[in-house]
Amino acid sequence: MKQTSIPVEGMTCAACVARVERALKNTPGVTDAVVNLVTGKASVEYDPEKVSVEQLVNTIRELGYQVPTGEIHLTVRGMSCAACVARVERALSELPGVLNVAVSLPAEAARVTFYPGTVTPTQIKEAIAGLGYEVAEKATGQEALDRERQARRQEIHRQARNMWVAWPLSILVMLGMFRDVWIFPRFVPEFMGNTLFLWALTTPVVFIAGWQFFVHSFNGLKKGATDMNLLYATGIGAAYIIATINTLWPGAGFGGKGATFFESAALLTAFIVLGRYLEALTRGRVSEAIRKLLNLQPKTARVIREGREMEIAALDVVPGDVVVVRPGESIPVDGRVIEGHSAVDESMITGESIPVEKKPGDEVIGATINKTGTFKFEATRVGRDTALAQIIRLVEDAQATKAPVQRLADFVAGHFIAGVHVLALAVFLFWFFYGYHAFFRPDSHFILSPYSLAQVGVFGFALLLSVTTLVISCPCALGLATPSAMMAGTGKGAENGILFKGADAVEATATLQAVLFDKTGTITRGEPSLTGVIPAPGFTREELLSLAAAAEKNSEHPLGEAIVRGAEKAGVAVEEAEEFEAIPGHGIKARYQGRTILLGNRRLMEREGVSFEALLPFVESLEQDGKTAMLLAMDGQAAGVIAVADTIKENVPQAIARLKKMGMQVIMITGDNRRTAEAIARQAGIEKVLAEVLPQDKAEEVRKLQARGLRVAMVGDGINDAPALAAADVGMAIGTGTDIAKETGEVILIKADLRDVVSAIEIARATMRKVRQNLVWAFIYNSLGIPIAAGVLYPFTGLIVSPELAAFFMAMSSVSVTLNTLLLKRFVPSMKRG
Amino acid sequence: MSDPARKSLLIYTGISLAAALLFLLATYATGISYPPVARTGGAVWVFILSMIITMPIVISYMNKRHI
Repeated sequence: MKQTSIPVEGMTCAACVARVERALKNTPGVTDAVVNLVTGKASVEYDPEKVSVEQLVNTIRELGYQVPTGEIHLTVRGMSCAACVARVERALSELPGVLNVAVSLPAEAARVTFYPGTVTPTQIKEAIAGLGYEVAEKATGQEALDRERQARRQEIHRQARNMWVAWPLSILVMLGMFRDVWIFPRFVPEFMGNTLFLWALTTPVVFIAGWQFFVHSFNGLKKGATDMNLLYATGIGAAYIIATINTLWPGAGFGGKGATFFESAALLTAFIVLGRYLEALTRGRVSEAIRKLLNLQPKTARVIREGREMEIAALDVVPGDVVVVRPGESIPVDGRVIEGHSAVDESMITGESIPVEKKPGDEVIGATINKTGTFKFEATRVGRDTALAQIIRLVEDAQATKAPVQRLADFVAGHFIAGVHVLALAVFLFWFFYGYHAFFRPDSHFILSPYSLAQVGVFGFALLLSVTTLVISCPCALGLATPSAMMAGTGKGAENGILFKGADAVEATATLQAVLFDKTGTITRGEPSLTGVIPAPGFTREELLSLAAAAEKNSEHPLGEAIVRGAEKAGVAVEEAEEFEAIPGHGIKARYQGRTILLGNRRLMEREGVSFEALLPFVESLEQDGKTAMLLAMDGQAAGVIAVADTIKENVPQAIARLKKMGMQVIMITGDNRRTAEAIARQAGIEKVLAEVLPQDKAEEVRKLQARGLRVAMVGDGINDAPALAAADVGMAIGTGTDIAKETGEVILIKADLRDVVSAIEIARATMRKVRQNLVWAFIYNSLGIPIAAGVLYPFTGLIVSPELAAFFMAMSSVSVTLNTLLLKRFVPSMKRG
Repeated sequence: MSDPARKSLLIYTGISLAAALLFLLATYATGISYPPVARTGGAVWVFILSMIITMPIVISYMNKRHI
């Protein structure tokens, strides 16, 4: 079995999704197919022995949808003759999903046309590299962006053209139909009320603007699939045919000239086209997050090659290149600073609003903006490997998934069409055999219309109600409700440095009840820092720090490094000791300016016969707080205590307090001893601590919490805590900001700021709120509209809904759902509010 | 046309025709005198809706059976 993802263009609602899914599932050799409306992708599991990607694409195209093709341009080095060209072409042609290959020997280039998703550029490159040639890619995410933008523009243009046909003609038809009522006789010429004239106006509306619905329905029916186009086609078609018969053959018995519903056929088409146009305009906007990210990619880079500075395309930067960045410029690729200092605005990647200081050795992320100084850095990740490219892929993948709630909505919407036709048949039969004879009144009117139905016969009346039921029942809003909100939510997450790996992750995050934090590297910085200096009488703080730093200068122990860093930070000059000796398990012994310095634990002092009773209360107090207390002695005399500890990150107490306020249970888990763990938890504001838990047992602790009925998130290091992250309902991996692809867990926090845990939960909750609101909108439209359209009010009021009013409501339901989703753009997590 | 496709066509067309015929018979059975156009128009509408309802169900079922 193989899995492939095929891009599909032209789908407009959940019924389209169901239609494509059904057609694919009905294709021999396909075991499963999942289609996502918003991302426009069909994920298919198939047997390559029985069916090819080409056949799957044809199945989709036969339904009337488009499958876009992608193209990449490759540089292929090492080809020497026509046989090499043939070899490369053959190898690429054999890849499933490759459509066309053109290899040029003199240009050392290959152009490959393929179906994006069915085969990746990486697989194409691997196939060439496997033959022994050097290969590099020239394609960019920008091309994908341009393609998507082009497709959207075409759809907007197509529907705009249809609007230009439908609306002016429909308004004329309406004026013509109403020329006998109200003030219209004063300014509407008589010939406009002529039914032949109205027929001539309506025909282009139905067959130009409305043609798309007939074509899509026919293609779908051929494949055994139905969608909302069929609702439109039957609605428009029925209204048009009855009106045409009554115009051309008034004596045929369909109600005669008094029952020419031309405005129904014309306005029905016009409103549906308006809905399509508005959807095309607004739907693309929810994927703005990806577009923004793609737009961040710089086009050029200034690199130093052969000793001189040159400007090249950012795509041509290779790992190892030295890149120069001046103030105000975008950093073209990921790398490590080798020269210079600056402050870099990383807000577009990490959501961090304050520029980050960069010095030699620090990592820089591609697409971030250099603010102050000029610096040079060595490129480490380029092209598809940059943090930005990984983020774009993750967000795209997340938006291609379905949340459990969406599966239900899609199932309902997909089966809705058949149900609606059954309902339309039931409505027709009821009014034909019973309703018309029992309730018909000569003063019958359409709602919001002066148009009288007095002359309508039993068939025309039953047909009208049947058609209106069909039109108003369209479940397109239901199909848009979840994916559009998910798309906006995952995009909002990406804007804030939070990556949800799928729609199910958003849904699960929204329902969390407990958050379990790993201690080291998550709550704490993960490296020791100097936290206290307690000099003995006769010594100053600076002197003690200077002695300790000098003694530790050559040490590679993390505690020693923390003391040196702390001394430098305090402005103390750090000199080198003349002699240095590490005593494992005890500490160090050094000679500095002719004096013997001892720095270590109590065992070291006892071994060297140094009396330190006077300092013991300080040592014990520091240890109570979970700190490592190191005693320092000079020439056999106790000089003071140096305290070193893994400190908590800033903003941790703030984040924990907010989580508690949100009603979350907050727990800390660590392998560290209970005393240290409790000291850190106290500082963070966490009451519940699980200490001395071995790494392999952390997942078990998660399961214990779940057994108590809690939905648990585990926040930790994506690599060390992988089992616990996997066991949790939501694994939140604290990212390093650059190597996102390696992270495990459902949610990735690009920067190591625990406030983002709060933001992730808030964004997920806001997204799910939006999903619920959208579903309510869609449900209200359908549940109120269907009975009214079916004629429930008619026996009491003599009023029925006209097909064009039904079309207007249907179009508005989709538009209101989309507009409601767009409101999510204004959401700002509480931790980001100024 | 493949075998399952032909079978499907026969089945859903048969069901739809039967539904239209049933409708036609019902117009006589009720005792109400319907105009001929209402009878035939109604039968056509019932046939169209029945085709739309049965086509996807039958095609899907036949394909599954064939696989």
